[in-house]
Amino acid sequence: MAEASAPAIATRQPRFVILRWLKLRPGAAHALPVIAFLLIGFAAPLAWVIMFSFMPERSFSLLNEPTLDNYVTIFSGTTYRSFLWSLGLAAVTVILLALICYPIAYGLTRVFGRWSTLLTLLFTIPLFVSENVRLYGWILFFIKNGVMLGTLKSLFGYEGETWLFTEGMIVLGMVYVYMPFMLFPMTLGVSMVPNETRDAAFDLGASRWQVFKEVDLPLAMPGIVIGFLLSFVLAVGALVEAKVLGGQRVIPIVHEIELAFTYAQNWPLGAALAVLLMLVVGTLVMLVLRRFDLDTILGRR
Amino acid sequence: MFTSKLSRRNFMQQSALWAAAFAAGGTLGLRKAMADRSKELNILCWEGYNSAQVLDPFRKSTGATVKAESLTNDPTMINRLRAGEMNVWDLINVNNPWARKVMWPEKLIKPIERARFEPYFAKMLPAFKPPYRWAMDDSGENMLGIAQRFGPYSFVVNTDKISRASAEDQGWDLWNDNANAGKYGVQESDDWNVFDLCCIAGFDPFKEHTDAEVARYTETAKRVFKNAKVVGDLATMNQLLVSGDIDFYLTGGTYSCSPARADGALNIRGITPNKGPMPGGKGGIAWIEITSVVNNPNVSPLAEHFLEYVQTPDMSHTVAFAEGTFNPVTQMGDPECFKLFTKEELEIIQWDSLEEEMARSAEYDIVPDYPKLLDIMTAAKREVSGG
Repeated sequence: MAEASAPAIATRQPRFVILRWLKLRPGAAHALPVIAFLLIGFAAPLAWVIMFSFMPERSFSLLNEPTLDNYVTIFSGTTYRSFLWSLGLAAVTVILLALICYPIAYGLTRVFGRWSTLLTLLFTIPLFVSENVRLYGWILFFIKNGVMLGTLKSLFGYEGETWLFTEGMIVLGMVYVYMPFMLFPMTLGVSMVPNETRDAAFDLGASRWQVFKEVDLPLAMPGIVIGFLLSFVLAVGALVEAKVLGGQRVIPIVHEIELAFTYAQNWPLGAALAVLLMLVVGTLVMLVLRRFDLDTILGRR
Repeated sequence: MFTSKLSRRNFMQQSALWAAAFAAGGTLGLRKAMADRSKELNILCWEGYNSAQVLDPFRKSTGATVKAESLTNDPTMINRLRAGEMNVWDLINVNNPWARKVMWPEKLIKPIERARFEPYFAKMLPAFKPPYRWAMDDSGENMLGIAQRFGPYSFVVNTDKISRASAEDQGWDLWNDNANAGKYGVQESDDWNVFDLCCIAGFDPFKEHTDAEVARYTETAKRVFKNAKVVGDLATMNQLLVSGDIDFYLTGGTYSCSPARADGALNIRGITPNKGPMPGGKGGIAWIEITSVVNNPNVSPLAEHFLEYVQTPDMSHTVAFAEGTFNPVTQMGDPECFKLFTKEELEIIQWDSLEEEMARSAEYDIVPDYPKLLDIMTAAKREVSGG
């Protein structure tokens, strides 16, 4: 009897376990395909990069004995300069974007009225053109005998030197390219401030500055924080601006990663740089998110 | 119960297990692929061979699916093979030394049928007559590929600012003259930039370097990048030469300045120095592409057929003037091919001085201490950042 029932249990048991598990946790079961997709498409390449960062320099296989040499190379050299340039340029870009975008966002929400849609469209259209093409457009604008200097020369006889290939041009390019990523979340944030709240503050005797500081800014904060995060993370990864408009006067960290993976053919070093960049940016983002909890500022808790 | 404790020791074992698992998967995939590659060809190449002008007639005549991926540096292409893409590619098109000195010893490529291809070499320009060194292995027995595009590649000047004769005489010292600070650009092409920095520093790039030479190279790299107005791609360099923002740039030659010359800017010219630190006092460096058949276990039968296809006079001319950049081809030694080139086309590729420039150029070779020199150059670029 016992001998006869044993195989039946053995064949039925796994199916039973899966069914019970599915029944008990339908949410998890339905999330399985997405989890599998994320594991294969997102986690696996990241894990690959992380593992490569521990391989000996200039190796192309993960079948070597792990080593910390790449990290030692990075910390003992001058690569920190590239990190500082990337973080510095991104910080300057984000600050400039905040200063430029807040008035525009305010205008789009409260001042421009029916023109807002058209203006929003004008800010959106450049996104449909490749970044490279837009930046080469700036080259043609600023180049000697180009749109700006050529016009000044022909109209006023003024012969100036090009402004291209300077740090200022890199910032200009980054502000130009990443503006929509600050502007639109910020506009959303500003539009979340109820007019009634502002009116009430004015009625209670608040000055314009007090309304801005106590009402506008805190209530628009979700959009502002998202704009900051989005544009900062993108700007830290900026490469083309420094290459095209900066003429490589500055070597950002992403350029170092590219060099390691191409000309130097040092995948492990490139991987180690990428891991460090992820850690630095991840840490900064986590610090901001700890200070401004998105769920709280979005009013979900 | 299964327990796993990863240590340095068993890391290798576990890695090997995973590798075996992947290899098993790969083998299964391969079996499937082996069934049919007769209508498929994959080419890893410099730009031009991937153009529709070159590939479409071949696709039409063979009915094959031809995929070509273009990259712009040799080590990246070769490392794609090393990193496991041997069973993906059928042809690889890189500069001369890689086939003979690297890919053949590492068994990344296989020989082509010598009897079938030697007659093509016989019709090429005199410098490429068989047995052509870069197309053969060390023993001289195995033919490793065919030669087609080539050209001198040192630097480019705007002859309205510096005459050709003066640039040829001054040669690499243009970069040693501090009065030229801010007047030049550097075309980003890191392996070639390394060669040029060696030439500016006054020694042959293609040998092992002494500590004193490395020190001189380091100083030169910092100075050259500090004094450069701009570092960028060839399109930017040509544009800045035409606009007058810069007067000359390294690295460059027929390949890089041909788009500007094709636009009518014949004052933009590739220059080969009259003298320099290479053996025999040669001042320039030249490249010759060798296209080889990848040692793919299931190589497409169309691979060698394609090599023959691009040898025809018509197709050679098309390859020389495929989209992007324009270059001389070895098949110009065949009158049937040469007559297809118009006067304007010959002007674009500087045919008037090609022979003498090639004679003054050393051939692109492997730099034994390249990784070290590249790292020094990258550090120099970083250190003058924002300076």
